Amino acid sequence: MTKQKSKARKKTSKKKKLKKSKARFGFLLNKHFLLGLSVFVLLFSSYLVYLNIQITDKMSGRIWSLPSHVYARPLELYQGKNLTTAQLISELKQIEYIRVQNRPTKPGQYRVLNEAHFEIISRTFTYWDGEQKSQGIRLSIYNNKISILHHLYSDETLPIFRLEPVKIAGIYPSTKEERQLIKLDEVPDDLVLALLAVEDRRFYDHWGIDPRSIIRAMLANVMAGGTVQGGSTLTQQLVKNLFLSPERTLTRKINEALMALLLEISYDKSVILETYINEVYLGQNGAQQIHGFELASQYYFANSLRKIRRDQMALLVGLVKGPSWYDPRRHAERARSRRDQVLILMHERGALSLAQLKKYKSLDLGLAKKPRFSANRYPALVDLVKRQLKQDYNEDDLKSSGLKIFTSIDPLIQTQAEASVKRVITRLEKNNSRAENLQTSLIVASSQQGEIQAMVSDRKPEFPGFNRSLDAVRQIGSLIKPAIYLTALQKPDRYTLASLLDDSPLHIKTSKDKLWSPQNYDKKFSGDILLFDALNKSRNIPTVRLGLDIGLPDISDTLHNLGVNREIPTYPSMTLGAFSLSPYDVANMYQTFAANGFNVPLKVIREVLNKDGLPLKRYPLESEKTIDEKSVYLVNHVLHQVTQTGTARSLTKTFPQSLAGKTGTTDDLRDSWFAGFSDNQLAVVWIGRDDNASTGLTGSSGALRLWSDLFSHLNVDSLEMIQPAGINNVWIDGESGGLSNKNCLGAVELPFIQGSEPTEKAECKSAGFIDQIKRLFN
Amino acid sequence: MQVSRIHRSNQTFIQLRPHKLILILLLQLSTLWLTACAPQMIAQQPEVGVLPVADNPQLPDVIKSLISQSDKQYINNDFTGALATLERAVRINPRYAEVWSRMAQVYLTLGKVEQARQHAKRSNSVVKDNNKLRDFNNNIIRPDSNLNQKEQTH
Repeated sequence: MTKQKSKARKKTSKKKKLKKSKARFGFLLNKHFLLGLSVFVLLFSSYLVYLNIQITDKMSGRIWSLPSHVYARPLELYQGKNLTTAQLISELKQIEYIRVQNRPTKPGQYRVLNEAHFEIISRTFTYWDGEQKSQGIRLSIYNNKISILHHLYSDETLPIFRLEPVKIAGIYPSTKEERQLIKLDEVPDDLVLALLAVEDRRFYDHWGIDPRSIIRAMLANVMAGGTVQGGSTLTQQLVKNLFLSPERTLTRKINEALMALLLEISYDKSVILETYINEVYLGQNGAQQIHGFELASQYYFANSLRKIRRDQMALLVGLVKGPSWYDPRRHAERARSRRDQVLILMHERGALSLAQLKKYKSLDLGLAKKPRFSANRYPALVDLVKRQLKQDYNEDDLKSSGLKIFTSIDPLIQTQAEASVKRVITRLEKNNSRAENLQTSLIVASSQQGEIQAMVSDRKPEFPGFNRSLDAVRQIGSLIKPAIYLTALQKPDRYTLASLLDDSPLHIKTSKDKLWSPQNYDKKFSGDILLFDALNKSRNIPTVRLGLDIGLPDISDTLHNLGVNREIPTYPSMTLGAFSLSPYDVANMYQTFAANGFNVPLKVIREVLNKDGLPLKRYPLESEKTIDEKSVYLVNHVLHQVTQTGTARSLTKTFPQSLAGKTGTTDDLRDSWFAGFSDNQLAVVWIGRDDNASTGLTGSSGALRLWSDLFSHLNVDSLEMIQPAGINNVWIDGESGGLSNKNCLGAVELPFIQGSEPTEKAECKSAGFIDQIKRLFN
Repeated sequence: MQVSRIHRSNQTFIQLRPHKLILILLLQLSTLWLTACAPQMIAQQPEVGVLPVADNPQLPDVIKSLISQSDKQYINNDFTGALATLERAVRINPRYAEVWSRMAQVYLTLGKVEQARQHAKRSNSVVKDNNKLRDFNNNIIRPDSNLNQKEQTH
């Protein structure tokens, strides 16, 4: 009975306890309270989900969109290749190979002995056609040619070796921003140390927000009498940067804190840090925002983050707190003291010794005189690449980027082109009183393969402005003439190089009461003139007559066959080039002449790999024979004469090699053109003014000079004009065009399509002894 | 085939009936005839897979090496690889007809007849004294060959 009683007593005491606790916390079990709580939890978690979606959305846009890289052509090394020591060293510098004193031991090292013997260990590189593993090579340069190419550790000859290409640009395709994204392992340790020391000491220990550092910051600021440290973590700052919100309201702060926590849940510390390093706002360049440490390093110091000094890194870290307030270009003293603060923190963290601290504090800021406007060194070329990409990839394709874009850009030629432009434009303005405010375009391409090697679209080549090479549509003037003469010569029964044309006054009715009387450059008339002479000397009047005789639609067809993809107007003045093309169009046109009738549409991209290094697209060499080789040979014969005895004869002073080309000058000397080619290189130069005013320059006195300066710094191969079958060389009389022979005065040897040779004999005056000797030497 | 075995000491002879013998003879004769005719048939239609000979002594080592590399790729059915290698050769020196001719052959194998023709034309535009090569190119260029059918299906 006692047991039962004690049990019952225990039960009741328990019940009492329960009742007591129920009374105290009873409200928790209240229906309404529970309902309210669950609603709140539901709402709050949905809000968190909403915030999380926003975060992951932004982050995926940042992380998964890798920049695409644009590469120049790989330098091919082989015995016999024209290459100077300086050029090879320049290339090795640009692919960031390190010059060492002793034998190279690691990939990416090289040494030079006696300015002629190279030992290089290449890095492993994935090309379009697969991976090329790291390899050691040994080469010697003699007489500006590669004389020997061997494996590094043996005497085994290497027939060919491809050096990895220079990385020219990073494109952020989806937003088309210039960004220099950097991987965390590429960031110098000292920068990370400084950044964490200044902005977030406990970065690796907190979970997004750090109450301890908030308190510490408050104390430090109070002690220092001003704000020295911030209390927000890098994670919080990243959220701020991603959402760019200017308000500092409480709601904003709470949101940021929540998002920071969510960020930490979803992403690794290393991902957060890397994204931060690439996102943080560090300055303004006009309308362009400078985001990320790598771009900032380029902007302030014109150098990669990996190459700047530690005090310069300290300055960048110091900028995080206030890029405008501490702008080193506008507030040098503030920037300096901020930098010094960071240096002290670095010392406190053990990254710098006292001596080093003193040294760095004494240094100047080290700013670059010229900020790099964009990360891309060759803005005109990169613009061309982007346009070509756009043709084949829609926006979605480009968004899944990380593409490796291999191009035909030749940094050695580009460097020369830029130097020539700067040199010659300045010189022209200095020596010609009427020449001022000149602008220019220069395009260099391999004529047989139709690949763009260099392009300059501004007298200041690094300026990413108007791309004159692609978009400046200007009258072409005499550059049209070869197309007209080509059209004529395609009808050998009617026209040959010896046909007589009429260079006498001409008046053409263009409309009911308008008369057009074209003039020659010298305002004179030469009467009867042989066809080849009319082209060689670029006479206008006979060209107009010829053009009208053949028919403007036929000329238009020829232009299309030559590769000009524009509507050609069919009014009489088009025969004198009174219509407009871009320099790129002109380059396409003359490429077909240079390749003997094979039209290869110019391009700059060779191959594209996807982010995993797998081939995505190849742009093969595609040519089409659009002009018969015989008539193009006849025209090229004259274009060669142009560089010997015609309007471009000044080239003979500089070049022993065989060349060909055409000068072009427009009305009032508004445009100065020269299109010229060697055996496998074509260059088109335009000089003019953006306001279309007169330049005071002809094609010969302007564009030709720039062309000549450039080519005098390149390896020029003599034009090898292979005479096609069905062409005969015949001596004819230079005045009448009748049959002659080499002993006659005034006779000249010209090529003719078989069956079109003149049949009438001309009167032959024996050439004097002196003339015969002269001819022997021509 | 009826065979009667005649055992003679340790040797075994297989004796054939006369009409069977004639059949075998005819078979052998026809094989001989086919072998004789085969080269002519190849000449009439460029056999896909046969590359023109690159025995020009003036070919520099670098070009020879790239040709050899592209031949290997071609044999391994890596046609785009072969083309890419040949393009490297053309960039180094576009004056060797052997290289262009090979590109024509690869395009032909890929069924890209028009590109094959264009490259064969380019080869002819730089060929110097090599008639064999010129003929090979002409075989590809000629529109009246059997290639006309391929073109229509392309």
